[in-house]
Amino acid sequence: MLKNYLKVAWRNLKSDGTFSVINILGLSMGLAISILLFMFIVREKSFDQMYAKKENIYRVLLHREGNHGEETWASVPAALAPAVKQSIPEVEKTARLLKHDFGGSAFIQANEQDFVETGLYWSDPEILNIFEVDYVYGNPVSPIDRPNTTLLSKSAATKYFGNRNPVGETIIVDNDKTLEVTGVFEDLPENSTFDANVIASFSTTNFSKNPSWGNASFETYFLLSPSTIPSDTEQKIQHILDKEMAPEDQWYSFTLQPLAKIHLYSAGITDSYSSRNGSITEIRNLSLLALIIMLTACINYMNLTTARSQKRTKDVGINKTLGASRKALILRFYIETGFITFVAILLGTILSILVIPVFNNITGQNLNFNIIFSFQFFMAFIAIWILTTLVAGSYPALYLSRFTPRKAMYSSSSKGSIASVIRQGLVVTQFSVSIILIISVLVIHNQMEFIRNKNLGYNPENVIAISTMAAHSGGNKNTIMNNFKVLPEVSEVSMAQGFPGVDVSGRSLYKDNATNGSTNIKTNKAEASTTEVLKLQMLAGQTLPAVKAEGDSLTDVVLNRQAVEFLGFTPEEAIGEKVNMQLGNNAYIRGVVEDFNFSSLHEPIGAYAFHNYNSEYEKFLLLRFNSSDIPATLEKFEKVFKETVPDSAFEYTFLDKNLEKLYASEQQTARIAMLFSILAIFVACLGLFGLAAFTAEQRTKEIGIRKVLGASVVGITRLLSADFIKLVFIALLIAFPLAYWISERWLEEFAYRIQVNWQTFIVAGVLALLITFATVSFQAIRAAIANPVKSLRTE
Amino acid sequence: MIKITELEKYYRTEEVQTIALNKLSFEVKQGEFVAVMGPSGCGKSTLLNILGLLDDPDGGSFIFNGIEVAGFNERKRANLRKHNIGFVFQSFNLIDELTVFENVELPLIYTGVRPADRKARVHEVLEKMQIMHRRKHFPQQLSGGQQQRVAVARAVVNNPKLILADEPTGNLDSSNGNEVMDLLTELNEAGTTIIMVTHSEHDAKFSHRIIRMLDGEKVTENILVNA
Repeated sequence: MLKNYLKVAWRNLKSDGTFSVINILGLSMGLAISILLFMFIVREKSFDQMYAKKENIYRVLLHREGNHGEETWASVPAALAPAVKQSIPEVEKTARLLKHDFGGSAFIQANEQDFVETGLYWSDPEILNIFEVDYVYGNPVSPIDRPNTTLLSKSAATKYFGNRNPVGETIIVDNDKTLEVTGVFEDLPENSTFDANVIASFSTTNFSKNPSWGNASFETYFLLSPSTIPSDTEQKIQHILDKEMAPEDQWYSFTLQPLAKIHLYSAGITDSYSSRNGSITEIRNLSLLALIIMLTACINYMNLTTARSQKRTKDVGINKTLGASRKALILRFYIETGFITFVAILLGTILSILVIPVFNNITGQNLNFNIIFSFQFFMAFIAIWILTTLVAGSYPALYLSRFTPRKAMYSSSSKGSIASVIRQGLVVTQFSVSIILIISVLVIHNQMEFIRNKNLGYNPENVIAISTMAAHSGGNKNTIMNNFKVLPEVSEVSMAQGFPGVDVSGRSLYKDNATNGSTNIKTNKAEASTTEVLKLQMLAGQTLPAVKAEGDSLTDVVLNRQAVEFLGFTPEEAIGEKVNMQLGNNAYIRGVVEDFNFSSLHEPIGAYAFHNYNSEYEKFLLLRFNSSDIPATLEKFEKVFKETVPDSAFEYTFLDKNLEKLYASEQQTARIAMLFSILAIFVACLGLFGLAAFTAEQRTKEIGIRKVLGASVVGITRLLSADFIKLVFIALLIAFPLAYWISERWLEEFAYRIQVNWQTFIVAGVLALLITFATVSFQAIRAAIANPVKSLRTE
Repeated sequence: MIKITELEKYYRTEEVQTIALNKLSFEVKQGEFVAVMGPSGCGKSTLLNILGLLDDPDGGSFIFNGIEVAGFNERKRANLRKHNIGFVFQSFNLIDELTVFENVELPLIYTGVRPADRKARVHEVLEKMQIMHRRKHFPQQLSGGQQQRVAVARAVVNNPKLILADEPTGNLDSSNGNEVMDLLTELNEAGTTIIMVTHSEHDAKFSHRIIRMLDGEKVTENILVNA
């Protein structure tokens, strides 16, 4: 019996080539996308699952009241971990992590070569009890207990020392600290949030000497004893705080975040060092998209199969007359659907393997297809197969098997039948979704263009920032600046702690009387010409002095408009005023610049200051250049830099390129949304194409009659297309409000954003109509130019 | 009015070529009522399609109203057809989604008649066919005889010079069949030329002349005097 069913299924597949191709192609494309997303989701969900003690590992979060509501930081004060370790016994292990230079890169000299290292963490030794690592070389008992010791990952060790065992060798960090290599560990897996290449002993740093409760820059992990209730521990931490400081000085509180939640549920948490952050929202959105594409493909299948039901009804009638029960027929249709979905899943799997590189390229992911050969995938494969078969096959199976033999053999379905109403409903659904996707893609694109073209208040083009971290111990900043100033390619030179797009220091700006309130201010230790390099607009006063005399105890400050407005001055009034902003007791306002977007457009502009207080390092050499030959210019810069600062790697970034990184996640979302939307629309078009073919076929007789009576080809094409165009209009009505709502919600995340305008909707509407017309008219024209004699013969 | 000379038509499938019309010649004069008879597959319907300008002959000459139309393209044929020829089919070929009124109105739309004139003309024809009271019904709601009246109404609404009827009574019982034959006779008496394909000797007796066909060729021609 089964063999017979499969045989009939195969013959049906062959006899209706177009329909079969559309069905299988649509389903397999939907499945390929689902498989890709499945792989992506499995990978995201697998984060940090490899650690044996994962159930008991927690990260400490800091909560505080910021300028724009509550803030959550993943970094806490260095004093917390030792205090907790001492007085809370169920906290078995504690480890503080400080990424080098507060998240910057390190210059490493090893084996007489220079390297840039972006994964250097200073860490307490117990990190190795919390996140266990496997050793390739070295002594696993206490590798980073002493100051000036370090562990290297296998890939870092290979990079620095080649394939030999480097234990006992030394590396020099930033021309400053010499560390002994005590071991080499296997690279941390790609799906580990902890992403260290080099783990150096925390005791090497000054922060370990007198850990403070003020500087919250240390990512801190606890290993709790099993069966500890985290909220109890949180309370005990609060008790410690109460002992350490008066309630009015507690500008923060702490909670514990389970390791399992770190990767996906850390949206809104700042100051985390790991570069591997996921987002549950993204996973949800992508899952929704995959589901939509799958449903679209299933709808196609249902539509085409019921549309073809007229051909099949006779078959059903004959089978019923000959004694087939309804149950047997239902089974038969499910088997037929199962057969098609099986072929589609196989094709989809192959397709997904083929497009993995494309997917990785577009999305910046790093998936590989090994997962396809896992048991997990096999189970998912079976689940998807059964589910798709049930979803796609149910309607045809239940609908077709219901026919009585007489009705099945003699009835001809008319236009208003329930089946055709459902079919139209499904097409409207598909098109509503497609239109929403088109609008979303347009809105994302427009917002990205808006960001790219927004006047930021400064000019990030043709500015390069070269890291001088290795120079501060020996190099002279004036020498560096002078050596570059003479180059013809360089129009302005400056040095600064940071530049727009990277984080600088955070301080508080107080009104004349501290009780009147304060606001957070970003402060940037800078040279005079920084305002020139960035092309900032001076509103009043002047920039920082070019030279600050040795022993000069006065601090000069250049504030932005926001800051002086907070203080209650006009730019002109502000000049010469003393200001209290944690830059010593003698800070005076020397100049005021117009506001500029120093961080991403997600955030509104806050208070900002350039100053010459002797606190932070000026880590970056900023050059405004006027050459269009970038490679040659870079080569020259590198040569001059190496001559000026020997023993330093040349690490640089362009300000405009760096800016793009701020929107990397949006760009990625945009690309994925775009890719999937196009695919969803394509799959919907496949269905429409099939349905149009069916409609033309169903109306063959009518078309024939009309042609005999004198209808023109144009008239017939219009007649057939009109029905579909009507459906698109209904879909537009449904899609517009939904798309508007979705777009508004997405745009809410930006402080600077576009308004959703009616042009977007017009474009989407016209696009949808054009796509529909192009898809449908092909079939319509074909039907219209057919010989009417043939169509009238189909009696 | 119609003169065909050595008309040929072949049908080809992948393997065989069938001759549907084999050098067929005859003439039909203005105002005649001609019946074409013959067994299934003798080429009657093919002949009717060519006469109705729905299909191209593969050879021979076809002069319609003094014009050679054998080589006409689709557009020219359609134009000639919609102004000059009305069709009545065995299976009525009404459009299920349109009402009686709309079905009959269709040829007028395609010949570009203004809406007001269309309405008057359709009403006139429906009155004449005695189905005015059914004008808002859909074809499926009518009996076979009524449906064929609608089809005849549609065929004559444009005042065609020629009506081609393909077994017009084939799907009807004898009383309904006779009514349709009476209608055709009336139209013929009013001056319309009629060519009718039929299996029924009874129906053929309504005509002036019977052309008998076999295997795509004319076998005999009987002239009936007392039709």
